[in-house]
Amino acid sequence: MSDVMLDLNSVDKFYGSKGQGVHAVCNISMKVMRGEIIALLGSSGCGKTSMLRMVAGFEAVSRGKISIGDREIHALRPVERNVAMAFEGYSLYPTVTVRDNIAFALKSSKFSATDVAVKVDEIAAMLEISTILDKYPSSISGGQQQRASLARALIRDADLYLLDEPMGQLEPQLRTLLRGRIKAYIKERGLTAILVTHDQTEANALADRIAVMEDGELQQFASPEDIKKSPANIFTGTFVGEPPMNVFPARASISEETVCLRLNENIDLSYPADAFSAELRASLAEMGDIVLGVRPYAVQRRDTGSLATVVVNQWLGDQSHIATNFAGGSLVLVEHDRTQLSEDEQIAIYLEPSDIHIFNSKTGMAISHGARLIG
Amino acid sequence: MSLELTNISKSFKDEMVLDGVSIQVHEGKTLVLFGPSGAGKTVLLRLIAGVIEPDSGQIKISGTDVDGVEPEDRNIGMAFQNFALFPHMDAHANIASPLTAQKQDKSAIQSGVQTLAKLLKIDHVLDHKPKELSNGQKQRTALARALAGKPKVLLLDDPLRNVDAKLRFEMRLELPRLLSDQNTTVIYVTQDYKEAMAFGDEIAVISSGVVQQIGTPEDIYLTPANIEIARLFGDPVINYLDVTVQKDAVGIFALVSDKRVDLNSGYARAVGQDCSLGIRPESILFVPASHPGAVPVTVEAETPLNEKTVNLCLTARGREIMASRPSGTVGPANGPAFVSIEAANVLIFDKHTGELIEPDKFY
Amino acid sequence: MQKNSNLENVLRGVAITAIILFFMFPILWIFLMSFQTNETILRVPPSPFFEPTLTNYRSLISGKLEGSTATLEIAFMSNLYNSLFLSVTSVTVGLILGVPAAYAFARLKFRGSEDIAFTLLSFRFAPPLLVLLPLTIYFQQIGLADTYGGLIWVYQLIVLPLILWIVRGYFEDIPADIEYAYRIAGHSFWATFRKIALPLAGPGIAAAGLLAFIFAWNNFIFALVLASADKQPVTVGALAFITASGINYGQIAAGIMLSIAPTFALALYAQRYLVEGLSLGAVKG
Repeated sequence: MSDVMLDLNSVDKFYGSKGQGVHAVCNISMKVMRGEIIALLGSSGCGKTSMLRMVAGFEAVSRGKISIGDREIHALRPVERNVAMAFEGYSLYPTVTVRDNIAFALKSSKFSATDVAVKVDEIAAMLEISTILDKYPSSISGGQQQRASLARALIRDADLYLLDEPMGQLEPQLRTLLRGRIKAYIKERGLTAILVTHDQTEANALADRIAVMEDGELQQFASPEDIKKSPANIFTGTFVGEPPMNVFPARASISEETVCLRLNENIDLSYPADAFSAELRASLAEMGDIVLGVRPYAVQRRDTGSLATVVVNQWLGDQSHIATNFAGGSLVLVEHDRTQLSEDEQIAIYLEPSDIHIFNSKTGMAISHGARLIG
Repeated sequence: MSLELTNISKSFKDEMVLDGVSIQVHEGKTLVLFGPSGAGKTVLLRLIAGVIEPDSGQIKISGTDVDGVEPEDRNIGMAFQNFALFPHMDAHANIASPLTAQKQDKSAIQSGVQTLAKLLKIDHVLDHKPKELSNGQKQRTALARALAGKPKVLLLDDPLRNVDAKLRFEMRLELPRLLSDQNTTVIYVTQDYKEAMAFGDEIAVISSGVVQQIGTPEDIYLTPANIEIARLFGDPVINYLDVTVQKDAVGIFALVSDKRVDLNSGYARAVGQDCSLGIRPESILFVPASHPGAVPVTVEAETPLNEKTVNLCLTARGREIMASRPSGTVGPANGPAFVSIEAANVLIFDKHTGELIEPDKFY
Repeated sequence: MQKNSNLENVLRGVAITAIILFFMFPILWIFLMSFQTNETILRVPPSPFFEPTLTNYRSLISGKLEGSTATLEIAFMSNLYNSLFLSVTSVTVGLILGVPAAYAFARLKFRGSEDIAFTLLSFRFAPPLLVLLPLTIYFQQIGLADTYGGLIWVYQLIVLPLILWIVRGYFEDIPADIEYAYRIAGHSFWATFRKIALPLAGPGIAAAGLLAFIFAWNNFIFALVLASADKQPVTVGALAFITASGINYGQIAAGIMLSIAPTFALALYAQRYLVEGLSLGAVKG
């Protein structure tokens, strides 16, 4: 038995007729290891739900192969795939109680009635739905239905657990609490799970690796930390991270002593040449036009430097988010204490070379992170 | 006073949705209604808009009692959580609807719509029907429509809920400025405490149909009226530990991990009382063992969260607490460590009622 | 799954053909009959091949029914006109009354609104004869018997509940927030009804109107009892084809073709609305 639990091999999905249809999923290959939690992260319409539905068997694969363990499953019916799924739209059976909804998947299995009751109580306690077990789906709130649907999926014994926006309807506080519990539940049992979400906080908190999707294409598939530290392209850089990464078009000029990144006629960022690796300097000299990215928390305020004008300063209790006008664009800073800055005040900005991400201005692909060439 | 609600109550069938709500908003100010879903926030907005009637209480807009005044005569603008755009009209006609109601002439309507559309960066999609707009564009169209009639009172019902994180962040920075330029009185409903902190001149925390606390973002964050409110603001949520406030020759203190944590001497009246000690995650700092008042903990796990690193720690008594620090700063990933808890950053709540116990000032 | 798809397609094709044959064959056969004489229709065995004739249509339009023994005067064309007039007017009146009422039932939850709405629907439960006998007496006393006005009034029993319940479902499907938004923007209740509710419920209103038209057109019993010869619609008038001297099948077939033509054309034209209207509106209502 291999350690790869789910293997997607060059999977495509087309909707509609040829020529004018939608290419919802474009040639995606990825491997999910046993015991791993994967998040498919992207905005609505990026193809993440189509992917999940193809794995579950509710959509046919247009091209490519899907395997679970050693079994090729893309031609099997959903019931034959041994996957459990929690739906975004709850989809509970309306004629039976929440308890029976959750226990339904265990009815046909080897467990005795008391074992089933114990398991249901346990999972209901974890998801904070113990008090509504004897109610019918129509009499409980959307958030409760969603948790019941999640419980029904997690209680099963399946090779793979598919969770489609499992916490979209929940309140922020409850979401934070349940994230931790669900992760612990999955990890303790060594389950393999795929989570579809548009909420990056959720993806970061739950997933071992995140697959960032956009326009049906896999943008990056890496650990949350790697995505944050080394975004593969401008899209991932600006999509993952809250607040999003600041990006500016720039022109690089390289001399013997300095590396100069010119953002516009007023703003040059000059660094001693040795702050950047020789290979990076060489490719910068060759390209000229680049896109420069810097994370909001890495933007530093100094006594001298390039000037930015404060537009808003929002204190959120534990952080201050400061938006400024900088080099004809918007630059956002995050500071971890309460910053006293008022509108229209000028501040001096400094960007450390090790915090700078450089992207190809034409393809949007990352060239360097922290002044070192990729690869 | 631009908007004044006095003792508003409303029930649907037997369920009390609002119970004696009183709120005042000054002209040009923004009040955020914050609370969990089902708290009655949306009902309150609808009462102000006039699409439903209160069972009792009085609503005054610019000093006039609006009881019996139809929604169209109240001079308000409203943006809905689900946008509620008119599906059979293009974006232009949607935004223009308050202006056509005011019977403005064609050129005035044209320029009014154009100005707002430019400001909100939707001038290139004005001829699109709602279903052809992206979520972000829909949200901006709904906002433009709410602003177009230059209303005295603007009601925004969680307008950023259904847009993606990036756009939500952009709008969080843009919107306060836009609103202050319009100089209208705003009621903003949200479930996101960050939006509440960012937008509100004042925040009214509502739960179960009752206003729990009204105050500036600072008041609410630093001196929450009860433990529930403290838990609603802040990510990760505030830690609370059950303690008994004690007193000895040195001063007032409580025990955490069997170590002394000194408290403000103003808490003398709470001595002997069972309390919950509320400590914000960002106020728990990792320190060397030699630091005075260092409290021993065991670090269990480390997770990143929005430019912060959050450590889950266990106290010596096995209670979980969360500590957060800026990303990139050094801290222990796991194992034994020491934290310091500063007296100034500690909140004390009555364990039974959950109410905040404020320190007496004159000590 | 993919291997099955060919077989599935073949089976699906067979099933569809069977259904089409089952439902369309009578219509096709009547269509063919309407171009034949009684002799070709009644020959054994029947055959779809014959020499077409227009005499059936000619005699209907001219109003002279040529039986095997004598010529009978019939008012088929005026019956057709009556049908058209009664149906169109009834539906128009039904829409004028029913659409605002449906809006009221959908939006204004007043005391007893559910009961009233249900009472209106219950008109459809009772067998028409139950209502008809007392109505005949009342109509004679107040002078409404054998008038178009009286018939249109009675036709509301068919048309109004239908329109009310379908359109109400449609109005309920419009999110209330959209209407609130229009009112808050400064428009009156009536402006909101005209500019938002009506256009958005448009397909439902069209479907309800169409269905009501078909029901009104097909009505038989009300007109049979309440109308005399010159007010009779085509459904009642068709009785005249059964004469003492025999039945002229060719002319009946031609009469059927003419009388289903308007509803058939309407239904074909608005098929989409009809299906959508029935499946969306009625399910919810």
